[in-house]
Amino acid sequence: MKLVEALEALNESPRPESPVLEIHLACGFTPLHFLTFLNAHLRREFPEHKIAVETGWFGDLPGNLERLERAQDSAVVAIMEWQDLDPRLGIRQLGGWAPRQLGDIAQNVRGQAARLSDSLESIARRNSVTLVLPTLPLPPVAFTPAWLLSPFESELRELVAGLASRLGRSPGIRLVSPQRLDRGSPCATRFDVKSELSTGFPYSLSHADNLAAVIAHIIRNPVAKKGLITDLDDTLWMGVLGEVNVEGISWDLDHRAQRHGLYQQMLASLAAAGILLAVASKNDPALVEEAFRKANPILPRDRIFPLEVNWGPKSASVSRILQTWNVSADSVVFIDDSPLDLAEVKNAHPEMECLRFPRDDDKAAYQLLEDLRDRFGKSSLSAEDEIRLDSIRASHTFIEATRTLEYTPEYFLREAEGKLTVSFLKHPTDPRALDLINKTNQFNLNGKRHTELSWKQYLSEANVFLLVASYEDKFGPLGKIAVVAGRSDNRRLSLDHWVMSCRAFSRRIEHACLLHLFQKFDAREAAFDFLFTARNGPLRDFFAEILGSVPQTSFSMTRQQLLDNCPPIFLRVQEPSDE
Amino acid sequence: MNKPPANDIPAKLTRCFAAVFHELSVQQIASASLETVERWDSVAGVTLATAIEEEFGIELDLAALEQLVSFRSMLDYLTGLDAARGLPPMETIQHA
Repeated sequence: MKLVEALEALNESPRPESPVLEIHLACGFTPLHFLTFLNAHLRREFPEHKIAVETGWFGDLPGNLERLERAQDSAVVAIMEWQDLDPRLGIRQLGGWAPRQLGDIAQNVRGQAARLSDSLESIARRNSVTLVLPTLPLPPVAFTPAWLLSPFESELRELVAGLASRLGRSPGIRLVSPQRLDRGSPCATRFDVKSELSTGFPYSLSHADNLAAVIAHIIRNPVAKKGLITDLDDTLWMGVLGEVNVEGISWDLDHRAQRHGLYQQMLASLAAAGILLAVASKNDPALVEEAFRKANPILPRDRIFPLEVNWGPKSASVSRILQTWNVSADSVVFIDDSPLDLAEVKNAHPEMECLRFPRDDDKAAYQLLEDLRDRFGKSSLSAEDEIRLDSIRASHTFIEATRTLEYTPEYFLREAEGKLTVSFLKHPTDPRALDLINKTNQFNLNGKRHTELSWKQYLSEANVFLLVASYEDKFGPLGKIAVVAGRSDNRRLSLDHWVMSCRAFSRRIEHACLLHLFQKFDAREAAFDFLFTARNGPLRDFFAEILGSVPQTSFSMTRQQLLDNCPPIFLRVQEPSDE
Repeated sequence: MNKPPANDIPAKLTRCFAAVFHELSVQQIASASLETVERWDSVAGVTLATAIEEEFGIELDLAALEQLVSFRSMLDYLTGLDAARGLPPMETIQHA
């Protein structure tokens, strides 16, 4: 983005009723054009918001951070450059670069880094912080020529690496990746000496633009994709199984097929991080099973569910996989080496991202690995990530059992030994709750989403309650699968959010959650901030069951209505004793 | 504002002014100066100069900047710069 384009973007007025996204920017330099780029990129990432960026005082990063320690539930951007650690590492002050001063500079950097760390950790306890560690090149302070790494520079870089390691472990702090920044903003093009000396703004325009883009993206924290469907022949492995047989497929250096091995390694890593993996392949099912059994791929067979191997159209296999997973096409990526199959799947599922596996291009295959990490990457892993695949398998077994055997749902629910654990803890903030609010479509009260910041602000309201429900039965645990948030006032509940994972359907968990809320708050009535969305059919069905008709907009339900129309519940509901 | 042709100096300069002083009409931009535009302070001046540098691929020296206090003076400066370079119009260079 050029400066003129950024300025033009700021001149477009958002709608007057748009919510305000307030950002606190703490840096030691005059933010000047960086502020313009940050505003413009934030507008691009948050088109429905008004953006308000507040800045502190020039030349005083520690002071700016200390003032922010009093802030709460805000988004903070902190940028630390070398001159903030010691002014002698900048060019606006003339404190001396004599060799005898290097030890003192390093010591000063150590002390200042500790002070800034303490401040940042304090801010991160109540706010979300996006942190940038020094991006500008070190000035020629040391006595060594620039092609030699001096002990002085090594010491400074070690200090900053230690800082990154310490602060990166803080749950409220997210660090900008230097490697990603290098890609768009090479080190040698970042420093604008003339601008630094004349205005106190040290960044070249391209660096300011790139850094602002990365920061805005981190603040938006895009929702990761949920599942990946892959082809087998010339994608997961090199070779066409039906032609070369099990012995002929490969994914290693010896067969010049390493790109397939790397792809498998990436898929295994994604699976271990809770991403759903399935196969859609035109092949002989018995031969494919044999390949997984005998050839022992890096991606094990048990990480794939379901395995759709047949001679029918790929789009039909993909449809069945989506049905089994019960996820929407827009949260899934399909990968195949055949442009024809990609086009056929894309035609049937336009919202699905369809990527070609570049079977003859190592560079492009490596780029694909990076793209996959970006699409599926998460800032942290949860307990649900570890059990997701097992819980989908368990769910599938549960549904199949109720379909294929002639038993009543009551029989299965009674025999399932279901246990629902409900927690009302609001702090510390459970990231899974926001995850469910932002990802769930089918059982969703109104489709309203939250940013991390708006979610924290909402929960901080005194009369707001949060229910997070976990479920397990004899088929296995499903983890945290439902979230209800609202207010309780004078024996009346007002529900603002209610979502439940589709994996938890058909167990009457929704009935149990609502009944528990009525009991917990001794409420007589509940008002629902209901909105009819394109995909919340399952929730509408639930309301129709209780009310006798599908609501069209916000409505209220009495406790008696629920009790009169509630089917038998065979769940054991419990609250953790330590709450 | 639409992106002007690469060799259209007045249009590109107008775009820079409009980006920095979005409240001005095209007619007001043509007569804009330090005296007539209330919001033309030091920050706006630096932003305008930087936008012009980027748009025209030039570096303005400080001595020149002190004289460039109106749309007209900037237009004259940029036109003179183009002529002094003895170069064909920018679009021709880009397509060469």
